[in-house]
Formats: sequence, C-alpha cells, structure tokens
Amino acid sequence: MFVTYRVRRSAFALMAVVGLMLASAPAFAQDKPDPNPGALTLTGSIDFLNQYMFRGIRQNSTGIATWPAMDLGIAAYSGDGGLKSVGINFGTWNSLHSGDTGADSDDSGLGCACGKLWYESDFYASLGLGFGGGTSFTTTYTAYTSPNNGFTTVKEIMFKFALDDSSRLGKAAVKPYIAIAREFDAEPGVGQADGGENAGTYLEIGFAPGYSASKASIAFPIKIGLSASDYYELITPTGVEDNKFGYFSIAGIVTVPLGAASSFGAWNIHGGVEYQKLGTTTEFFNGGESNQVIGSFGIGFSY
Amino acid sequence: MPPRGRARRSAALALVGAVWVGLGASPAWSQDSASDPNPGNLTLTGGIDFLNAYLFRGIPQDDTGVVMWPYGDLGIAVHSGDGALKTIGVNVGLWNSLHTGQAGSDGPTRELWYESDFYATFGLGFGKGTSAGVTYTAYTSPNGSFNTVREVSFKFALDDRVGVWRVAPRPYAIIARELDGQADGGAEEGTYLELGASPGFPLAGVTVSVPLRAGFSLGDYYEGVSGDERFGFFSVAGVVTVPLSSMPTRVGSWNIHGGVEYVRLGDRNAEILGDTSKVIGSIGIGLSY
Repeated sequence: MFVTYRVRRSAFALMAVVGLMLASAPAFAQDKPDPNPGALTLTGSIDFLNQYMFRGIRQNSTGIATWPAMDLGIAAYSGDGGLKSVGINFGTWNSLHSGDTGADSDDSGLGCACGKLWYESDFYASLGLGFGGGTSFTTTYTAYTSPNNGFTTVKEIMFKFALDDSSRLGKAAVKPYIAIAREFDAEPGVGQADGGENAGTYLEIGFAPGYSASKASIAFPIKIGLSASDYYELITPTGVEDNKFGYFSIAGIVTVPLGAASSFGAWNIHGGVEYQKLGTTTEFFNGGESNQVIGSFGIGFSY
Repeated sequence: MPPRGRARRSAALALVGAVWVGLGASPAWSQDSASDPNPGNLTLTGGIDFLNAYLFRGIPQDDTGVVMWPYGDLGIAVHSGDGALKTIGVNVGLWNSLHTGQAGSDGPTRELWYESDFYATFGLGFGKGTSAGVTYTAYTSPNGSFNTVREVSFKFALDDRVGVWRVAPRPYAIIARELDGQADGGAEEGTYLELGASPGFPLAGVTVSVPLRAGFSLGDYYEGVSGDERFGFFSVAGVVTVPLSSMPTRVGSWNIHGGVEYVRLGDRNAEILGDTSKVIGSIGIGLSY
C-alpha cells in the first residue's frame, strides 16, 4: 500500500483546459443577450475520476474521486495600455473519495481512519495581469486542506507565466506556460505535498493546444512536473533524495456544450483520458507502477 | 469558558438573514433594470463577517478570540410565473466558521477552520408573499471539533411588506430534523423548531432590521443531564446595513453591515456557557450579484 496521507492533489490541468474551452465555446458566439454583462464571472464543475494524482503523487488507490469546484472571477480592470487586464479569482476545489482515503478509510486505516468522504478542500486566490501579445502573469495563493485529516494543510504560492498565441498561430496555437510554486509554513513531514523533510519548490512547463468546432471542442494538454528543490523527496536507507523528475502528462479532453448560452449560463459536459509517466519518487508513491491512466467525466458551467 | 465538543453553529444566521432583508430593501436594487449587471437567472451572494462569539441555535460553540464567517450562495431562479405558484428557486451554498480562539487555532486542534457547512435549498413562492422551502444541510468540522451533522429543514415564511404594517414583521417558522449526528452531542437525533420575525425598514439611506427568534426542541434537540429541555434560546438583534454604492455596479451591490445580538439561553445551554445570556457583536462585508 502506498503513502497517501500528507500528499495531495493533481489535476488543475483538466479544469484549466475546460475553462479555456468554455471561454472559446461556440455557445458564447450566439447572438443571444449576455445574461451576465457585469464584471463577475462564476464558473463551476463537478468531475468524476477513477484516480486522483496531485502533480504525479497518488492520492487514492480505490474507489471514485469526485471533484466539485467553484470559482468567482472579478474583472477588475480592462484597458488599452501596456497592462490590458487585471483579474482576481477566488475559488474552492474539493475532492471526495469513495475509496481508501475517503469513505473507506476506516477499513484502510489511512488519514483519520474515520470513513469520511471529504478528502480535500482547497481555497485559492489569484491575481492575474494580462499584457499585450497574449502574455499574462498570475500569482496564486492556495491552501490545500484535508477535512478528513488525510494530510496536513499545505500552503503554497505560485507564479505562472502564460502566452496565448492563438491570435498569431490560429488553430496551430500551443498556448505555452511555465509555473513555479513554493511551499511555505512547512516542517518535516508537515505542510508538504511529498510529506518530506523540507518545503519544496515545484516547476511545471506545459502546453494546451486545442481545436474548437461547432458541436464540440477538443484539447490536448501536455505538461511536465519537476522539482526545483525538495518537491519530490524520497526517504531511502541512505537518506533523503530529491528526484528532479516528477511526472509527464498528456491528455485528450472533449467538451460538448449543452445547447447555447442561456439565462442560466453556458453548460457543458466533458470527458477525457490522461496518461502520466512517473518519476522515481512518484512511482514509489504509486506502488511501484511508473505509468498511470486516468479517466474523467464531468459537467461544467460558466456564467 | 464554555465547553465545545460536538456542538455546532449558532444563532447567527439571524444576522445573515437580516442582511439579506437589508439587501432586498436596499435602494441599489430598486434602480432601473438597465443598470443591472446580472439580468440572468443566477444570483451570487457572499460575504464575510467577524464576531466575538458563536452560538448555534443557542448552543455555545466559542466565545474566545475572533470568529470569522466567510460564506457564498448561488441562487437559481428556476421558474417565475403569475399563477398560484409564483416562483421556484434552488440555492446551494457554503458557510464557514473560522476561529482564532479555543475552538480553532488557539485550541487543541491548532487549526482555524472549525466549521464548514454545505446546504441545498428548494424553495417555492406563492401568492401574497408566502413561501415554503426545504433545505438539506451537512454541518462538518474540518478541524475535527465535532462529528458531521446532517439535517433536513422546512421553512414557511410570509413576506408581508405589502401588508398593513409600515414595518412588516415578516414572520417565519422552521422545523429541522437531524438525520445523522447531533447538534447537542446527545443520545438521540433531535427535532428543532424556530419561530421568528425579521422586521426591517429603510432609514436615512441605510437599512435597519430587528430580527427576533426563539428556538425550541420538539424532541431531543436540547438534551442535557436532566433530559430534553424544550426552550433553547430567545434572541433579538439590531442590524444596520450600509450600501457601498447607491446603484448596482459592474461588480454587484456591496455593503457593510454590523449589529448586536442579545441571546437569552435555556437552562441546558446556559449551563454550558456558564451564563444565562450572551451579547454578540458582528461586523462584515456583503455582496449580492
């Protein structure tokens, strides 16, 4: 049995992609009046997965993971100068587990061993700055908490640089980004994704190419997760080793709008398959298996 | 200092409810719909409040440190018509209580997040301001201070703003039944009855409301050493809501609000608190969009 407590979530990738697709969904191109012309945008979703990997670190080994999420976006500024936009987002992201790290934890003995479903609840706040040429810089604070005591709270600050190159490359756009995240307020074994000795720094490089058609959209997010320092620590007989390579991921996600945008917003169903190739530390957490396939299905809306 | 243990959230939806009343009567919402930034069927409400104490339906939770209540609600207007059934609405939301005192970061758990509640409401609006709603609530404690309580409640309300009174009392009744877990940490799941009123009126650009309510056990809700006590608490509050703009803005209608609530407790709750009454002060920021 692998270690799951003290480690946490993966998969903003899927959500981010769905968010991107919502923004470009044909449903929004309709002539119907916008039900929400103001500066606040609400986005929500619920997804169901066979496996939850947080940046390559396995979080459950049995049952289903259910991810309800909600985000409030505030368009604080929009202009024509060097700074094109300022946005603030708040949100909550949750992971409910029917298996060994959730409702079955009283049998597995993991976490609180109390049989509670609610494995993870994250709160985040971000400040995003949009510049010319589709470039953006976003700073995000996230508190990863575990209502069922599956892990100790992890606090993190992340900086992300992204380029939306769709205006230049059209359908060939790859939308590259780089993100660096630093854990803070950690102690040995406490407040860290890997449950290791030292607070870690995580580096992610990715691309999110996609294609939108009239009836559906498809995206192929690709990313690689690395330890810039102490992020993928592995305790060995000779000491603690930090393995640089965490995981590589590629996914295919299809999003189908549920009709045109209405006074209830724009709804969609989406589903996909993600493949992860794991590094030494993440392979250990995955019970010695270096490959992982994740299937997901969900419903989302944007208003 | 009162014992905490398994008990949970307090008396204070009264204040939140009063703020709702305030929002509803806010001059900002009476503007022409052309200025409405959100004419669709979804409504977002949220806010954060700061209090000196937290009593859940009269049951003491914490009166040390500062209590913070961040909350958010998504309302969906499913139906609106002119027949006997005027409206159908669905609400889902999260309500949280963060404590710097003994129930939170200064207590044995060392963790701030004392309570997180998820709820879903199905509401029906009828003629003459009458309404009925059924709500499912899961009261959970992220820092493990109490076991999850699951509850279904039914609320009947009358919004008599168009009635004969200048200051409409807006009476309501709530019956709640615990399905699993218990607010009083007792032997049996309980049934709770609340009778209340939420009179409010505009005054010099602000809204003043005076919510009143009383909580009773219809069966096993306030279990103590001497059995189940019928009377749980009586509360009266004064809440002032000040809009931060005279009209809705692109980021919705914001307000600051504050108030004082006086709570008179039944014997069982008074024994836990160590006093027969409690005065709770609160201040917060609210949003409706």
